[in-house]
Amino acid sequence: MRKKILQIILIIIIAVFCLAGVSSAAEFWLRAGTFIKTMPDGVQVPMWGFARCTANFASCGALRVPGPPLIVPPGDNSLTIHLRNNLVGPYTEPVSLVIPGQAMPTDGIASSPAPVKVPDANGNLRVRSLVHETLVGSDGVYVWNPLKPGTYMYESGTHQAVQVQMGLYGPLKRDAAPGQAYSGIPFDREVVLFFSEIDPALHNAVVTDNYGPGKSMTSTMYYEPKYFLINGQPYSSATSAIPAGNAGQRVLIRFLNAGLESRVPVMDRHYMSVLAEDGNLFAHPKEQYAPLLAAGKTLDAMITPQAQGTYAVYDRMLGLTNAAASPGGMLAFLRIATAPAGAASHGQR
Amino acid sequence: MRSIMTQRFRWFPVMAILLLLGASPALAAIQGVTGTTFNLTAKADHISTPDGNSILIWGYALNNGRMQYPGPTLILNQGDTISITLTNNLPPGAGNVSILAPGQSGGTATGGVQGLITREAPPGGSVTYTFVAAQPGTYAYYSGTRPELQVEMGLVGAIIVRPAGFNETSNKIAYGHPESRYDDEFLFLLSEMDPNIHEFVEAGLMNMIDNTKYWPVYWFINGRAAPDTMLDANVPFLPTQPYNCLPTTHPGERLLMRIVNASRDLHPYHTHGNHHKVIALDGRLLESAPGAGPDLAYAAFTTSVPPGGTADGIFYWIAKAGWDIYGTDNGHDCVDADGDDLDDATHEYCPDHGKPFPVNLPHKNDTTFGAFWGGSPFLGTAEPLPPGEGGFNPNGAYFFMWHSHSEKELTNFDIFPGGMLTMMFVEPLSAPLVNP
Repeated sequence: MRKKILQIILIIIIAVFCLAGVSSAAEFWLRAGTFIKTMPDGVQVPMWGFARCTANFASCGALRVPGPPLIVPPGDNSLTIHLRNNLVGPYTEPVSLVIPGQAMPTDGIASSPAPVKVPDANGNLRVRSLVHETLVGSDGVYVWNPLKPGTYMYESGTHQAVQVQMGLYGPLKRDAAPGQAYSGIPFDREVVLFFSEIDPALHNAVVTDNYGPGKSMTSTMYYEPKYFLINGQPYSSATSAIPAGNAGQRVLIRFLNAGLESRVPVMDRHYMSVLAEDGNLFAHPKEQYAPLLAAGKTLDAMITPQAQGTYAVYDRMLGLTNAAASPGGMLAFLRIATAPAGAASHGQR
Repeated sequence: MRSIMTQRFRWFPVMAILLLLGASPALAAIQGVTGTTFNLTAKADHISTPDGNSILIWGYALNNGRMQYPGPTLILNQGDTISITLTNNLPPGAGNVSILAPGQSGGTATGGVQGLITREAPPGGSVTYTFVAAQPGTYAYYSGTRPELQVEMGLVGAIIVRPAGFNETSNKIAYGHPESRYDDEFLFLLSEMDPNIHEFVEAGLMNMIDNTKYWPVYWFINGRAAPDTMLDANVPFLPTQPYNCLPTTHPGERLLMRIVNASRDLHPYHTHGNHHKVIALDGRLLESAPGAGPDLAYAAFTTSVPPGGTADGIFYWIAKAGWDIYGTDNGHDCVDADGDDLDDATHEYCPDHGKPFPVNLPHKNDTTFGAFWGGSPFLGTAEPLPPGEGGFNPNGAYFFMWHSHSEKELTNFDIFPGGMLTMMFVEPLSAPLVNP
């Protein structure tokens, strides 16, 4: 009897794994909304952000910037995101989702994606959204099929000049296989370092409907970021080190930059083996200590720390203040622990 | 502007005349200091810009000498354990200071006080950094203390690590592979400056500095803005800017460009005359496997090095001018025994041998001249010019502008030409290369 139950359980497990292998569709629910983010100097910035919700928006977590990490299992080769637009006024806009480096998403019904055009003051049609929009108060569906493995950023595809820097961005990854970021690229541990910026003047203008032609802030022409974030936070005395595995481990760092300016992440005393850019694996890695993390792009880099310790990661383009106050900005720390006795070590090239 | 340029350029022909007189010709090499133990002092001083400005700088001085911008180029040998003791003699209010040497391994810091990124020398105090120069290549060093201010203020420098087996005369290699060999080498340490920040510091208004309003208006190569880049090294009137940048080469030689971006912006550095082949980034050969050599090198006519990073490029010039660069009336030969289309000795491009110059040059009375025009379109030939013309190209070299391709960076506080610009001279084989 007991053996029989075990057999049944085993069959179910195998069936589930088989289904996971063929059903292959990751599904997420995201809510876009308006919230206030407090900077270390007390400045309060209105943001637009994403929150992760359970199935059918039954319950939602807190809005955040960057948005919640979306992890697509290696076996899932398609992705569906349900998007609910909960932006609140005085000023709101339709929103949408794109993943640069992936194909444009469909709405799950039409066979091909289509941009949204609206007439301007002269009656000329102008592209407002790269893909179908989700209007305020309603839900939309975005389907990627297939979804390439790699490290990517999801972001709004609507009025991008404003919406991306307002905070509608987040990280997304799909590993090629369990424990392998790309085929043949195993890692023991991973860290996401997501760079972005905030210009409070622009945010305040947008949410109060003072942004756009004829209004007090006409465009992003004078964009001047004051806060420089890693994983949504500028450096402050409250910053704590990010655990990043043990000495001797292969630690994958996924760099993303949602800012409008390029950055150069330098990790003190470490070379990085830069493996991939925009989700595309290089034929040969580049050994660099100062890689260019261009605006809007992603980089994957492997480090194999040789010694335990806490190591600074900083932007060598020197976004290292909170407004005028120093220190601050894009400064974070990775904490490498001692290798446990007898642990296998992958030596460094 | 004209008078300043003329005055400053006066030193250039002095150097050239010394050369013509047969003064001992040096190899084209990079100025710097060698050794394993260095004492640097951070201190304040001023630099000059070609528009007549004088700007407060914080920089590294060798021992307790005069501050220089950039700091001393440290020329190390692979495998050596290096010790750098930094003493903080910056003015009161500047705070601590430090050195980061990215790309060096086994780094430790002792003494001083713990800062955010590394240990720092407090005012009047010292800190000692040690590391192993484990891998050859080109590297940067800079302050890791409030970098957005101290890098801007001038606390930057270059490190060159010579590979095992390097010999200044018989084995000039940048990395431990023969494909990194070169004949001539030059440093291009790129930086920029927002003088407002320096003025606030000088006025004691540190609280007025806003990193988010950074707006550079000066751009430098090796600490000098053009045309000062082309002056001799160590000219007495630029005591805090000892390094020049006057690349020279001969046809067919391999010129190694060591590019260091010490600043915070990208500077697309452009070589007129030919592509350069980027063989290494951040002190690592672009190779598919250890020991393979730079098989992943790529050709570029513009290289943008990320801030803090470095690139090594091999530049190589031969004439494919469409005319005989040595002229058609002097009886020279073009002998190509090895079948590479080049004269085996002079690297003249033989398919163009004997071809006449394709246009009739206008009469001198109908022509305006630049300071670098030697009077002839033929390499190594100089011809008489009207009084007061030319004079900066005594050997009849071909010359090309090497500059940032962000064109606004070719100015000194809004005055063109200037900034991140120099001229590269292809000298005739008869002229030895002199630099610095």
